[in-house]
Amino acid sequence: MKSRSKAAAAATIAAASAAALLMLTVAGSAGASQVSYPRSQTLITSGTQWGTIAGFNPYAGSYAAGMIGLNLETLLRYDPIKDKYINWLAKSAKWTGAKQFTISVRPNVKWGDGKKFVAKDVLFNLKLLRFKTSQWNNLYLNIKSIKVKGSNVVIGFKSTPNYIQWQNAMWNIPMISPAQGKVITSAQKLTTYNPKNPVGTGPYALDKKGFDPTTRVVWVKKAHWWASDQGKQPTPKPKYIIDLVNTSNTNSLSAVLAGVEDLNNNFLPGVNKLADRKRVLTYFPKAPYMLSANTAWLEPNTTVKPLNNPLFRRALAMAVNPKKYAQQAESGLVLKADPTGLLPTWKKYIDPTAVQDYGFTYSTNKAVALLKKAGYKKGSDGYFMNKDGSKIDLSIMVPQGWSDWEAARDMIIADAKAAGIRLHAVIGDQNAWISARGTGHFDLALDNHWQISDNPWTYWNGIFHLPILTTGTGQVNFNFERYSNPKAWALVQELDKTPLNNKNRIEFINNQLQTILMKNLPLIPLWYNGQWAQFTTLRWTNWPNSTNRQFTPVMWGGYLQMTGIDMITHLKPVQ
Amino acid sequence: MLRYFARKLFVYGLTFIVAVTVDWAIPHLMPGNPVLTLMSRIQTQDPQVAQQMYDHYMRAFNLDLPLWKQYWYFWVSLFHGDLGTSILQFPTPVMSIIVHAVPYTLALLVPAIVLSWYAGNKFGALAARRKVLDNTLLPFGYTLTATPYMWLGILLVWVLAVTWHVFPVGFAYDPTAVRGFSWPFVSNLAYHWFLPFLSLFLVAFGGWAIGMRNMIIYELESDYAHYLGALGAPQRLIRKYAFRNAMLPQITGLALALGAILGGALVTEIVFSYPGLGFQIYHAITNKDYFVIQGIFLFIIIGVLLANFIVDIVYLIVDPRTRIGMEGGRS
Repeated sequence: MKSRSKAAAAATIAAASAAALLMLTVAGSAGASQVSYPRSQTLITSGTQWGTIAGFNPYAGSYAAGMIGLNLETLLRYDPIKDKYINWLAKSAKWTGAKQFTISVRPNVKWGDGKKFVAKDVLFNLKLLRFKTSQWNNLYLNIKSIKVKGSNVVIGFKSTPNYIQWQNAMWNIPMISPAQGKVITSAQKLTTYNPKNPVGTGPYALDKKGFDPTTRVVWVKKAHWWASDQGKQPTPKPKYIIDLVNTSNTNSLSAVLAGVEDLNNNFLPGVNKLADRKRVLTYFPKAPYMLSANTAWLEPNTTVKPLNNPLFRRALAMAVNPKKYAQQAESGLVLKADPTGLLPTWKKYIDPTAVQDYGFTYSTNKAVALLKKAGYKKGSDGYFMNKDGSKIDLSIMVPQGWSDWEAARDMIIADAKAAGIRLHAVIGDQNAWISARGTGHFDLALDNHWQISDNPWTYWNGIFHLPILTTGTGQVNFNFERYSNPKAWALVQELDKTPLNNKNRIEFINNQLQTILMKNLPLIPLWYNGQWAQFTTLRWTNWPNSTNRQFTPVMWGGYLQMTGIDMITHLKPVQ
Repeated sequence: MLRYFARKLFVYGLTFIVAVTVDWAIPHLMPGNPVLTLMSRIQTQDPQVAQQMYDHYMRAFNLDLPLWKQYWYFWVSLFHGDLGTSILQFPTPVMSIIVHAVPYTLALLVPAIVLSWYAGNKFGALAARRKVLDNTLLPFGYTLTATPYMWLGILLVWVLAVTWHVFPVGFAYDPTAVRGFSWPFVSNLAYHWFLPFLSLFLVAFGGWAIGMRNMIIYELESDYAHYLGALGAPQRLIRKYAFRNAMLPQITGLALALGAILGGALVTEIVFSYPGLGFQIYHAITNKDYFVIQGIFLFIIIGVLLANFIVDIVYLIVDPRTRIGMEGGRS
C-alpha cells in the first residue's frame, strides 16, 4: 500500500513536471539550431513596447520598436539637439517654389530585398497619404500633383502649403517597400497591413525566428547599409538588437541592475542615485540627468468656473511650485519648465521680453494678493470662494499608477491649499483620464500630450486649435483645455502657412503666441518630461552624453529617425 | 447518475452564460474609450484627420453600435469561434494573443496546483501527528498562506535574482536565447519558470497544509475514531481513515481555490514579466482593450468551469456516500 502511494506520488510529480516542460517548450519553441544570440554582439533595450507587440505596420498606433529607424527609414531626419534637418533617403528635400516641393532621391540606396530605392518608391509612399486612415491625409488633400522627373519627385500644391506640417511629415513618413506595400489598396488595408518580414532600407532586418510577440523583437544587422557604404554613418557594431516588452518600472529597474538590459527607456524613480554611484550612465552625469521630451503642464478646463477667469488661472500658476515637483516628484531627473512651456530645443523661439512682462513665478503671497485683487474672498474655512459666494473645490486628475505625477499632484494640492485654493484628487486610470480630457469632464489635469518636434507649431496647434468639439467624443487630440481664442488660432494657422525662410514673420507669430499663452494661461507649464534613458556599460560603451555624443538616447517611436540611430551606430563593444 | 450529470451540466451552462455576460459587460461599463486611447498614440496634426481615423476604428470594432447590438454580435462571433481583434495591438487577433500566452500560464498553474495540493496535504497530515512539526514548521505554513502572491514574488526576485543572482529577474527565457527544441533552450525555460512557480507553490502549499492539519485533528477527535480506538484498531488504521475523510473537504477546497490560484498566477506573471495570460490581461485592462479582456476571461471561465466539473467527477469516485446517495435517489 505504502509503495503504491509512493509510486502514485512520484507519478503525479513526474506528470506535473512533464506537463510544465511540455507547455513551456510549446510556448517558447520555434525550431532553431543556434543556442543563443552572442551577448557580446547583442544590444538589449527596453522601455518602448508595452504588451503584445502588434506587428510591423508603421501606420498603426503601436508597432515593433525599431520599425522606423532600424528597418524603415524616412526621407529626412531631424536633430533636435542641434536643431537641424539631415538629408537621408532624400539627397535633398526643399521648397522649390511657393507651392512646389522637390525631393531628390539619394542614389545607390537599396531595399532589403536588393531592389533599388528610386523616385517611384517615394511617389508610392506619398500616395498612401490619400487614405483617410493616414495621419497625413489632410496634407494629401492639398496636393495638386506628384510627378517623377528622373531621380526627383516634384509635388505641386493646390493652395498655400502647410509648410511646417509638410516639413514635419518629411522626417516622419516611413518609406515602405512598394513590393510589399502594394497590398494597401484601401483605408482599411492601410490599418491592417502587417508584413511578416518587413523590407526596409535601414541597417537592420527582422530576425523572424527570434520574434516573439509576447517577449521581444529581434533585429539582425544587414551585410550592407547604404549610409555606412556612403560614409554617412559608422557601421553599427551590434549584430543583433533585441528590444524587450516591458511590464513595469520595478521590473525594468531589476533588469537594469542585473545587467539584463543595456539601455532602458522607462522612467525609473531614483535612477539619479544609481547614476551618482556610477551604476548606470545617463545623458547628463548630474541633474537634470535626462534630455527633455515633452512639457508637462497643469491643464485647466477653461469652461469651468472659476478656471474660466484668466486671473484665477494666473493665481493658480503662481501658487504652484514647478521647481519642487521637478526635484522631488521627478527625482531631479528633469528641468522646471520655462513659463512659455517651450522645450529647450525651441529655446531660440523664446521671447525674453515677453517672459519678463508676462511670465509667472512661484509666490504664495502674490497668488493670494492676485486673487483678492481679482475680487475673490476667503470663506470662514480659509479657502477662497467664487465671487457669487459658492464654494471652490476643483478636482485634479492624473492617470492612476503614474507615480511621479501622483506625487506631483499631491504637492500641487498642498501648494494650492497654502494659497487658499481648494483642490482634490480624482482617482482614475489612464483611459478614464483620456476620456475625461476628451469630453471635458474634468476641472484640472496633468498632461503632456505633445512630444518634441522640429517646430513649436505642433505645441501651439495642440493648445489653440479651434473649433472645440462639444458633442460625441469631444476633443480627440487637441485643445483639451477648451480655450477659445480666435486670434491665437488665426496666428497658428498663419504660422503653418508661412514659408520657412520668412524668419521675421515666424519670430513675430511665435512671440505673439507665447505672449497670449502667458497672459491667459490656458495651461500652466510645470516641467519638461525626460527622454528617459539609462545605460549600462557591461557590454557596450560610447553611449550618448551631453559633451561629445549628443544624440537622442531613446528607442521610442519617432525618436530613432531623430538621432537615435546615431546612438546605435556610435556604440562600441566592451573588449 | 445521468440526472446528476444533466443537473450539473445545466448549472454549468447557466453559470457560463451569466459569467460570459458579466465578462462582456464589465469592460464596457469601465470609464474610458479604448479607441481614444489608441488615438492618443497616433500623433496627427489635424483634428479632422484624427476624427476620421477615430470614426474608422469605432466602426471597425462595432463600437459605434448601440450596446445591445454589440452584445448580440459578441455572442454571434463567439459561436463562430471569433474572439475579435485587439484594439491596442491592432490588427492582432485576440485568439493569437491567447494562443501565445496560454502555454506559459498552464505551465505555471498545473504543476503549482497539483504539487502544492499533493505536498500540502501530505505535510499537513504529517504535522497533525508530529508535535515537533506542528510547533515549528506549521507557523511557517500560516505565514505562507497569508502572504500575498505579489509580495512573495517581489521578495523572491529581490533576494534570489537581484541580490544573489541565483535566478533570473523575469521573462520566460533569457532575452538572448534562441528558441527551439534543444536542451539548452528547454533548461533555460525551466530556469526562468522556477521562481514564479515557487512563489505560487509556496503560498498554495501553506494553505493546503494548514487545512489538512486541522481536518486530521478534527477527524481524530471524532466519535468513529474514538470508537475504532476503543475496539483496539491500530493507530495507523485510524489515521488512514481520518486521512481519507479529511481529503474530502480538501477536494472541494481545490475546486473553490482554483479561481484564487488563477488570480495569483495572473499577479505572479506581472511580477516576473512572465508572458502568460496574467501579463496580457494586465495590459488589456490598463488599456481597456475590450476584446482581449473578454477573450482571456472567457478562457478563464471555461477553464475554471471545466476544472470544477472534473473535481465533481473525482468527488463521485472518492466519496462512496455521494454514489450511494445518487443510486438511492434513483431507486
